[in-house]
Amino acid sequence: MSLSDQQREQFDVLVKKSKVVLFMKGNKHFPQCGFSAQVIGILKETGVPFETINVLSDPAVRDGIKEYSSWPTIPQLYVDGEFLGGCDIVKEMYAAGDLQKKLGVVEKPVAAPTITLDERAAKAIKDADDGSGEHLRLEIGAEFQYELYFGPKQAGDVEVQASGLTVLFDKASAKRADGIRIQWVDTADGGAFKIENPNEPARVKSLTPQELKKWMDEGRKIELFDVRSADEQKQAQLEGARLLDDAGEKYLTALDKKTTLVFQCHHGMRSRSAAERFLRQGFTNVYNLEGGIDAWSQKVDAKVARY
Amino acid sequence: MAAIEETMKAAILEKIPDANVVVGPGSGGGHFTVHVVSPVFEGKSMLESQRLVLGAIAHLMKGDGAPVHAIDSLKTKTS
Repeated sequence: MSLSDQQREQFDVLVKKSKVVLFMKGNKHFPQCGFSAQVIGILKETGVPFETINVLSDPAVRDGIKEYSSWPTIPQLYVDGEFLGGCDIVKEMYAAGDLQKKLGVVEKPVAAPTITLDERAAKAIKDADDGSGEHLRLEIGAEFQYELYFGPKQAGDVEVQASGLTVLFDKASAKRADGIRIQWVDTADGGAFKIENPNEPARVKSLTPQELKKWMDEGRKIELFDVRSADEQKQAQLEGARLLDDAGEKYLTALDKKTTLVFQCHHGMRSRSAAERFLRQGFTNVYNLEGGIDAWSQKVDAKVARY
Repeated sequence: MAAIEETMKAAILEKIPDANVVVGPGSGGGHFTVHVVSPVFEGKSMLESQRLVLGAIAHLMKGDGAPVHAIDSLKTKTS
């Protein structure tokens, strides 16, 4: 397919619809492809207003724009009517600061975050370093997903020293990293890195039956709620668990929002929804007992009946 | 190498005969990684370089039933 002059003119207008126009799959709230989502993430970082055009809603635009730019893939970013590139190029330009120049945004220098690497984590990293000269990189996604790996230094990287190691962050990650703590913790299959990040929004945290038992033994102040039905509670019950019936709900709602809440059900599914619900109501220390009372009787106390 | 990867490689070589081309699997069906080394990229911007490679395989990426859905990573180097 090649474009007629008239079609070409229509695209000339479309790509200048606003200063920044992104042809993408889906829209800025619900990108329907990973590459489009990445470009949206970058544009949001820059803070500039931008227009998106969903190519999935119009096959003529979807095919036409590829022809117009001689670029066979979506997304495609246009600034002042000029085609800048797809996902790879936009990412690279953002990292190097070129995208910001094109967009006319003055980027505040990203302050180097303060990070803590505990001794065991530092050792694990040093042990894993194969001496190829690559650096440890930590990527923190917009949803606070973490990627810790060895990689080359890139333009625009923010460099941080901790426990004798250099850790590299791309700019977006650096903004989400201040105050993080990287630890090495023992797990069933050896060990793993654990990252604590004070910038993370509150979310429901997982609690194993063993951890809950430890908390109970330590006499830690928690509020334990059983979200199952009264009939189920008759069959098996955790000591100190309050049924989340009308009275329980009333009791919970009146608690201080910083109270440690633990939710429990049969297998950990219903309690997770309940935990999410109270998180939305503003509670900040919300835990879900993973595996529910069933896991409790298998891992902690066999006297609690299974059903 | 699967047939489609061979086809992609051949299409790129047709456009850039002196290139060293490696086509590998990407994150799933229809996704690929492409690495091309050729002096032809000398002095070209990343956009121009990528456009050259993508232009060579554009016909394989066209339409809903296209064998190539996405290039997860496209690297162009001069040496």
